[in-house]
Amino acid sequence: MHFVAPSLLLGLLAAAAPWILHRIGRRRARPIRFAAMELLLRAEREVSARRRLRDVLLLIVRTGLAMALPLAFARPFVEVRSDLPAVTGRSQSAVIVLDDSASMRRRTSDGTPFAQARARARAVIEHLSPDSDVALVLASEGSSAPVAELSSDRARVLSALDAVACSARRADFAAALRRAAQILTGSPHGDRLIYAVTDLQASGWQDVAPEPAGGPELVILDVGGAWENRAITALSAEPAPEEGAQGIAVTVEIANFAAQPARGLGVTLALDGVEVARGFIDVPAHGRARKRFVHTVAGGGAHEAEAVIDHDSFPLDDRRACLVEASRGLRVLIVDGDPRTVRTEDEVFFLEAALRAGGSGFSVTTTLADDVDLRDLPSYGTIFLANLNRPSPAFAAALIHYVESGGGLFISVGDRIDADAWNQELRPILPQPLGLKRTASALPGTHAEGETVDLRPAERLAPIDRRHPLLSAFPAQGDGLSSARFFQFMLLTPLPDAPGRREVLRYESGAPALVEAQVGRGRVLLLTTTIDREWTDLPIRPGFLPLVQEAARYLAGVPSGEATSAIAVGQMREIGLDADDRRIEVIRPNGESRWLSPASHAGELRARRLVVFTETDEPGFYRVRAARADGTLSERPDAAFVVNLDPRESDPALLPDDQRPDRAATPALAGPAPRRRLELWHALGAAAIGLVLIESLLTLRFRRGRVKA
Amino acid sequence: MPTLALAPADIARLESMSVRARVIVEGAFAGLHQNPRAGASIEFAEHKEYAPGDDIRRIDWKAVGRIDRYYLKRFEDETEMRTFLVLDASASMGYGRRGPSKLTYASYLAAALGYLLAQQGDPAGLLVFDDRTRQYLPPRTRGGHVRDLLVALEAVTPAGRTEPGRALAHVGELADRRSLIVLFTDLLDAPADLADRLRQLRSRGNDVVVFHLLDPDEVELPYDDVTFFEAMEPDDARRLLVDPRDLAASFRRESAALRERWRQICVESRVEYRFATTDAPPAEVLRAFLFARQRNRR
Repeated sequence: MHFVAPSLLLGLLAAAAPWILHRIGRRRARPIRFAAMELLLRAEREVSARRRLRDVLLLIVRTGLAMALPLAFARPFVEVRSDLPAVTGRSQSAVIVLDDSASMRRRTSDGTPFAQARARARAVIEHLSPDSDVALVLASEGSSAPVAELSSDRARVLSALDAVACSARRADFAAALRRAAQILTGSPHGDRLIYAVTDLQASGWQDVAPEPAGGPELVILDVGGAWENRAITALSAEPAPEEGAQGIAVTVEIANFAAQPARGLGVTLALDGVEVARGFIDVPAHGRARKRFVHTVAGGGAHEAEAVIDHDSFPLDDRRACLVEASRGLRVLIVDGDPRTVRTEDEVFFLEAALRAGGSGFSVTTTLADDVDLRDLPSYGTIFLANLNRPSPAFAAALIHYVESGGGLFISVGDRIDADAWNQELRPILPQPLGLKRTASALPGTHAEGETVDLRPAERLAPIDRRHPLLSAFPAQGDGLSSARFFQFMLLTPLPDAPGRREVLRYESGAPALVEAQVGRGRVLLLTTTIDREWTDLPIRPGFLPLVQEAARYLAGVPSGEATSAIAVGQMREIGLDADDRRIEVIRPNGESRWLSPASHAGELRARRLVVFTETDEPGFYRVRAARADGTLSERPDAAFVVNLDPRESDPALLPDDQRPDRAATPALAGPAPRRRLELWHALGAAAIGLVLIESLLTLRFRRGRVKA
Repeated sequence: MPTLALAPADIARLESMSVRARVIVEGAFAGLHQNPRAGASIEFAEHKEYAPGDDIRRIDWKAVGRIDRYYLKRFEDETEMRTFLVLDASASMGYGRRGPSKLTYASYLAAALGYLLAQQGDPAGLLVFDDRTRQYLPPRTRGGHVRDLLVALEAVTPAGRTEPGRALAHVGELADRRSLIVLFTDLLDAPADLADRLRQLRSRGNDVVVFHLLDPDEVELPYDDVTFFEAMEPDDARRLLVDPRDLAASFRRESAALRERWRQICVESRVEYRFATTDAPPAEVLRAFLFARQRNRR
């Protein structure tokens, strides 16, 4: 045993105080010559046993009390073998990388791995030599570092450690270790170490490369262990036409990360918080299974769908959510501006085929411009105008009203377009005025008589910007659009930047290919080429079908499923402001709200009237409301979104030993296990308090006994 | 009836033992005591079988010849009652913390009784003892005897160990006629044969009275501090360091048991037992004694 203040042990002499006081009391006892000694001795014999017991007890208690106090003040401690690595005792610069990813929130017999990790991190910090300095970094993706610079202020680091809450994000040790190495770059110590306290979930250690020679040493403190898990890894919703216009189908994908199959696993579907269906499913060991629920919702619009499976030790991934749009706007009207008797030559042949493709859920109506029932326009979610010569004034007015009221309009051009008439009649809703037709190259197998022949190859699209909701479902490579050739297209008259207008696609030459405009509560897309094969071969390219279907949904304000309405924990969400929106309020799953204004953003976001919400830390439904220019507050169901757990956090696979980056550690990491200090004064203080209570109780009891006797 | 029952401390302030005796007697129904055996003749009363210690001069030899047993001739005193005042003057009788010692208190009572008897013409003797007979004044009625008795009582001091049995045996030898034997003692450390001696005296026709005198401390043990108790009598090395508060209750029980035991012994031996603590007015004690005797005579 050791003492912080051994000089205070002199106070142990006070242990003799009770005995000395007893002796002094005996010496100071008044002598009396007493006649009834026989009676006195008999009385003494009667009570002596009890009195001696009392005296011995009191002497022990008081002596113990007199010893406990100086012992406690001397701050005794013992050194015990530590379970920390040997290197922790060296003078060093250290960065603690604490794994606060979602998997650390699972339940174990000892609480949670995160609680254990924090305790281990605390032990490391407390055990570092006094001249060491330390920083604290979190391992979850996109998180900030609580202590981003090396500090010798242990209290500050420990306080920051205590304040860390386990996130629901995925682990990204590659980024965290890079951050830690960067912090250690300016280290004043020769020894630079990174302590990663983690459950060693393999998915979090992807792309982690061993530190190069001369870099910081990595020490992994494993607080995890093997575990098994069942999780919902995907949830998608789509229209179910077989159930009618309000029918929806929700598909739940369940993964079983266990060596035993899951039999009769309960799956529950809730819509708008109300349980509407429950089923059971068998999931093979280390396999996946899907459960499809079909339900008819009451009323159109957005609905909150959530699937839940029977809970296991990691309940965070036992539920998943998505937004479902009951089909209000899936009626599509195609106005054919260039009908042909040969069906394949018809202007809208490819468009119709794409919209009617199986499972799309669109209800497509094709008509001619003269046959359009103007009163029926509001019942359509999207209207396609394909190579329409010139809209009549009445039709143009109806279209303008339709768009401003929230409708979606897709315009494609062609040889029949009367650009001047369009610019005149539909100017309020055209994203940009139509200009001259431009021929990039001749169509294969045709002669370009009467036109200027350009021998350059056909125009192609510039790389697409997948941040646009319309294009977010397209893969990064092989999008099916880049191979399309554009032989002719229509130029647009340049306009100054305007809020609500953006180029969705552009040609390699820089000319706009697809332009979007926000008009009132509706949207307009203008394609500067034909929707058939007359000016382009886009309709026969793989990207045509998704482009058309996504455009129809986008214009109608219908999210196409998880891809657009759901994001993973920690990802940011862009929310566009309508024309008369001033501010956006995002309401988190726990009810807290956050106001966002485009004025707080800079550059492009501000120009595009976008706000970015980044506090997507918890899974669940995020509602959006907009403060209008007129002072009213209205729901923005089109902007609502859900945040789900990254499915990679559900996989309990551990990082194999041969892939652990700390296995290449230097021999300096080895050595005898360090010893840590175990303070004893707390226990002694508690013992002193206990002895005071016992002494009081004994004295009280014996006084009562004296009175009763 | 007017009473003058002064407290022991007040009596101690009086000038002399004769004054103290007179004050106590006056306070204790003086004159109520009537000698039931008025007369001058000595009459043969009865025979009593000889017991060791009896005076062989009183053996009835004629009876020995007739029935071959040794009998003592006994006579009834019809004119006067011989009284032996037997005073325990051992060291333990010297205890008195807040008032007169037990010996002083016993002297007051003995003086008052001697004075009373002298007033009535009854002979009263005094035997002072510890472990032996320290002083003896035979019962007499001559003038000046009571003064000698009072002087002797005033001069008595506590010392030595107590042997009441031996003293009573001595008194038994001295009391050749039926006598009133009054023993003043604290009965502390009394040997077991004391009860036998009392029965012997009683069996000889003597009227025996035991005044059991204790200090209030020997009843209650009212000490508050840790005390080192030491025995008072010589050659008694018993000592005890103790907090008296721990023992008080048990001590009270032991003291009560002592009194009850001696009261029971006296009842069984037909000996009158009177208990008093030294804080009680002696006149009250004497009056209670006299009243009780008068009641019994009737």
